Amino acid sequence: MKKYVIVADATCDLSEAFQKEYDIKVIPGHIKTPDKGEISILPGWNGYDRDKFYADLKKNPDAYTTSPANVEEFRREFEKYALQGYDIISLTISGGISGAHGFATKASQLCKQNYPDVRIACIDSRRFGPGFGLLTVCAAQLKQQGKSFDEVVDYIEKNKNKFHQAGWLDDLSFVAKKGRITHPKAFFGTLAGIKPIGEFDYNGLTTVIGKVKGAKKAYSVLLSYIEETIENPSEQIIFIAHTSRYKQALEYKEMIENRFHPKAIYINDVHPLCGINIGPGLMAAYYIGKPISAELSQEREIITKYIESGE
Amino acid sequence: MNTKRINGLELERMLRNGLANLRSLEDEVNKLNVFPVADGDTGTNMVLTLENGIRFAQSRPEVGAYLKMLSEGMLLGARGNSGVILSQLFKGIFLELQKTGIVNPAEMRNAFIRGYITAYSSVIKPAEGTILTVAREGIEHIKSQVGRSTTMETLLSMYVAEMRKSLSFTPDILPILKESGVVDSGAYGYILIVEGMLKYLYGDIIKDNPGSIQPMINREHPNAVIFNENSLFEDGYCMEFILQLMNNPNYNRNFRLNSFIDDLKLFGDSLVVVQDQKRVKVHIHTMRPAKVISLSQEYGEFASFKMENMQVQHNRVLKEKEENIQKKPLSVISVVNGKGMRDLFLELGCDNIIECEDTMNTSSQEFIDAFKRTNAEHLVVMPNNKNVFLSAQQAIQLYKGSNIHILPTESVAQAYCALAMDIPDSRDIPYRLSQMKLGMDGVATLFQTTASKDFSFEGPSCKAGDQIALLENNIVAVSHNAIDSIIIGISKIADIEDKENCIIFKGYDVTDDEVYELEEKLSQSFPELEVTFLDGGQKIHHFIIGVF
Repeated sequence: MKKYVIVADATCDLSEAFQKEYDIKVIPGHIKTPDKGEISILPGWNGYDRDKFYADLKKNPDAYTTSPANVEEFRREFEKYALQGYDIISLTISGGISGAHGFATKASQLCKQNYPDVRIACIDSRRFGPGFGLLTVCAAQLKQQGKSFDEVVDYIEKNKNKFHQAGWLDDLSFVAKKGRITHPKAFFGTLAGIKPIGEFDYNGLTTVIGKVKGAKKAYSVLLSYIEETIENPSEQIIFIAHTSRYKQALEYKEMIENRFHPKAIYINDVHPLCGINIGPGLMAAYYIGKPISAELSQEREIITKYIESGE
Repeated sequence: MNTKRINGLELERMLRNGLANLRSLEDEVNKLNVFPVADGDTGTNMVLTLENGIRFAQSRPEVGAYLKMLSEGMLLGARGNSGVILSQLFKGIFLELQKTGIVNPAEMRNAFIRGYITAYSSVIKPAEGTILTVAREGIEHIKSQVGRSTTMETLLSMYVAEMRKSLSFTPDILPILKESGVVDSGAYGYILIVEGMLKYLYGDIIKDNPGSIQPMINREHPNAVIFNENSLFEDGYCMEFILQLMNNPNYNRNFRLNSFIDDLKLFGDSLVVVQDQKRVKVHIHTMRPAKVISLSQEYGEFASFKMENMQVQHNRVLKEKEENIQKKPLSVISVVNGKGMRDLFLELGCDNIIECEDTMNTSSQEFIDAFKRTNAEHLVVMPNNKNVFLSAQQAIQLYKGSNIHILPTESVAQAYCALAMDIPDSRDIPYRLSQMKLGMDGVATLFQTTASKDFSFEGPSCKAGDQIALLENNIVAVSHNAIDSIIIGISKIADIEDKENCIIFKGYDVTDDEVYELEEKLSQSFPELEVTFLDGGQKIHHFIIGVF
């Protein structure tokens, strides 16, 4: 069996520790910031302080932009592994958000011209940020268990729509401005004390499926929501990701641990490449559950039930 | 200027000018972005891409050698979708000209053709109505007109003009552009680059003409609704052309700029005329274009020509304003006091504000006026006190309109929470109403103000000038200090130990020191409360505080 690598673009937001542990190759993306100009960046803080970064971003969001690796960058990365005799599984940020999937596909065609024997599977993850990261880790785990190239590709295609996000995004102005939410024009400013509950839609765009007043109630609604949608929690790795909400992430982690006893649970920072488009208000859990329904109709129903039950 | 040949050094200068032209309008290109945004900002991405190429390439007299480095730098530096496509356009141009030392207009035309073909093949699913379409149509429509006498200036002018025309059709091809009322941003960016290259050949004189750089937003086809047989016509035409003065004896060869300008002044205004040797660039607003044309043709012929009906543009703007107030499924009318409060409510998506002092009462007439102003299937009224609730009720009876709902909010704090809980993209009106109800429920409101007279009833009594806090119209705290009265007041709220959030609307006269002191004391007395300060700017109450 030919050896293969799993390559993900940097919006999978997996830190160096994850990259090492699961042997995941990450292709850098690009950000532009007022202090450093345009730089190429991997998941990590690059000398920034997390909370200060988000505070600065909040003050001047328009001065920060992001863009994915381009065709040439994907090609060079692919050819590096092709030269070493690897096949490649390439995972990219949702095509509903970015053009990276198209770039990777084009790059794979170019790479094959030079290395006709290489197999490259370009997969649109339909997710971004921590949800994409978790999908990548799950694929890498299978690879470590000795599953073949085709088995891993098959797993990803069959399961990518099962990756959930259950959390809140208490500052919608960023996702609205940067187009990382469905119906961006409908949502506004900072909502003091109100927690919009965000879930992924099919394209991996965060969609507000309900709003809850106050953090306590939000935690309780979210835990009930996870309970109804998660599958086999005890066999899962769960990610908690946050932009600038560490305290809440810590509380949330404890609650999830106590209620669902997952195999492992990690709190991850959201780094600049994703964070610029999310803003400071994200705090959410990522897990594998039931397939997400069209237009999130079932998910909305579940969340509404718990919001109204006053539980 | 009759440039017939360009070497690598000139091409570099042209491209630098193209980059400068794009950069000068980078923000405008960024603003053309539509949701969902693909990759950050188009203008910025295109600037970064071209800049990378130019920085990467060393100056070379051979066109092919220069383009090789430029296109490599652009491929590597490509940012975002538009950047990748731009880099591919230049890759195609390079492929065509790689063996060329000095390029002529016909070769340049072939390079533009190779450019778009390469760009198309680089995209997995080419979308029409984008930079690809514009780059293709721009050159395809003019390629047969390029002959031995064509200069580089003519080629680029025709190319730009044709691309601009193609650009104006992009909203018809891509519905998302039409919805947002914009043209394709990547295509616009590319045109700006080529336009900048052309400007260089003209010694940059086009830069002086304010008419040459136009926002290309809302350039859809004029339709009969915008302009028809019954329309007024009083705005005239905007004409813009380059007049090539001719040597042929059929033309008057005695061209004098000043008398030409004096003659044009008789026909219109907003006049800009610039001469560069045998070419004259003209911009004029006129009711009588035929006069302008025949006067110009005495001296020469039009190298490029553009004319627009300004009435169409004007009417379109008017129509859009009208459309913007089309019927919404649900609109909210809130009663608030203070500029800050007004902004806060508008930001949250409130459609109509009635301004009113907290202790004054909005009249039924004011509500009726607001109902008339608001164009929606359903109206939700959010009062700021109980009395206002009554006059809103009365207004509904008088107005006889249907689908007007009153949310019984008794303070701006309750109304604010109700609005924040709305799910504005839902089509389910009862659901939205129930969300708003959830929002206001359980929000206790504390008002803090200065007592205007001595008062004694049940509960604490106060003297004029005392700082007092009120809960549901009852004085619950009296103190010499506003902050202390708040702390006492909050402790009187029922179930205060279960509350998590505290939103504080600051009055117009509240100082930073007071805010700081209040923040400190709140965190000591109620460490569990998450406190948010908002600029209310209201008059009567120093502080209005919602706790939930």
